Amino acid sequence: MQHVKVPQDRIGVLIGDGGETMREIERRAEVRLDIDSETGAVAIDSVGDPVAGLVAPDIVRAIGRGFPPEAALSLLENDVRMFDLIDLGEQTRNKNDLHRQKGRLIGENGRTRELMEELTGANVVIYGSTLGIIGQPEEVEAVRRAVGMLLDGAPHGAVYSFLERKHNELTRGFDPHLSG
Amino acid sequence: MSESEDGKWGIAHVHASFNNTLITVTDQTGAETIAKSSGGSVVKQNRDEASPYAAMQMADSIAEEVKAAGITGLHVRVRGPGGNGNKSPGPGAQATIRALARAGIEIGRIEDVTPIPHDGTRAPKNKRL
Repeated sequence: MQHVKVPQDRIGVLIGDGGETMREIERRAEVRLDIDSETGAVAIDSVGDPVAGLVAPDIVRAIGRGFPPEAALSLLENDVRMFDLIDLGEQTRNKNDLHRQKGRLIGENGRTRELMEELTGANVVIYGSTLGIIGQPEEVEAVRRAVGMLLDGAPHGAVYSFLERKHNELTRGFDPHLSG
Repeated sequence: MSESEDGKWGIAHVHASFNNTLITVTDQTGAETIAKSSGGSVVKQNRDEASPYAAMQMADSIAEEVKAAGITGLHVRVRGPGGNGNKSPGPGAQATIRALARAGIEIGRIEDVTPIPHDGTRAPKNKRL
């Protein structure tokens, strides 16, 4: 039995239309979700295969940190996908700094965040004071490094060229997006 | 331990930090080690020791040794670095459990045994990402 806290405005997403998303998680991860919609506490009980239930807390946490349910459920499809959370509040000095750094991470019209997603192949979501990443371990690592660079004050151009280089490494010259 | 008795269980202790993954399989009391492996035994580069791929390969070789010892199921105890450090298990933990399950070993209880301080020394200052 594990507990995860979900912010008030994500509870609706976690439960879904008529409980759809909640049932989907319960069915596919073989768990039981006990959602307290007043406090936002979610109790996760593994009922079936404990190996399938292993990622359930991560799925709930990911939805709670702003991921759409489809992205969070992709954790189940592929073994090597993982969820990572960076607490921006911890990495920044105060509220104003957090606001500024979030702006830098998202970029003009969301350009920086989108580039991070496109060049690494991971899903990146910035919500409240956290930045969540879902993807394969190398992709997550690349995004983490890029975020670290931006938080340290690196110019966007330097981060883009870093991501560009990582992109070439990850795809080894073969681009699944362009050739598809 | 006596050999080839059906349905014997053991415990897999998985220590998954961000720098390495250590797997030790013992009997149910934890006194007798049946198989053990760590990241360094399957990869060349130090930074790859904690990777899920290394953990999968380790789990595969462990699974064979364990089966040879006549054990069919394993309870799993995962552990992160713990103490005043990082409380969450590293990337190798999930991969290990999945690979063990896929190698045909029954997985029983999965338990988190990360040491949690009841207040002790001060935690290290936050690292840059």
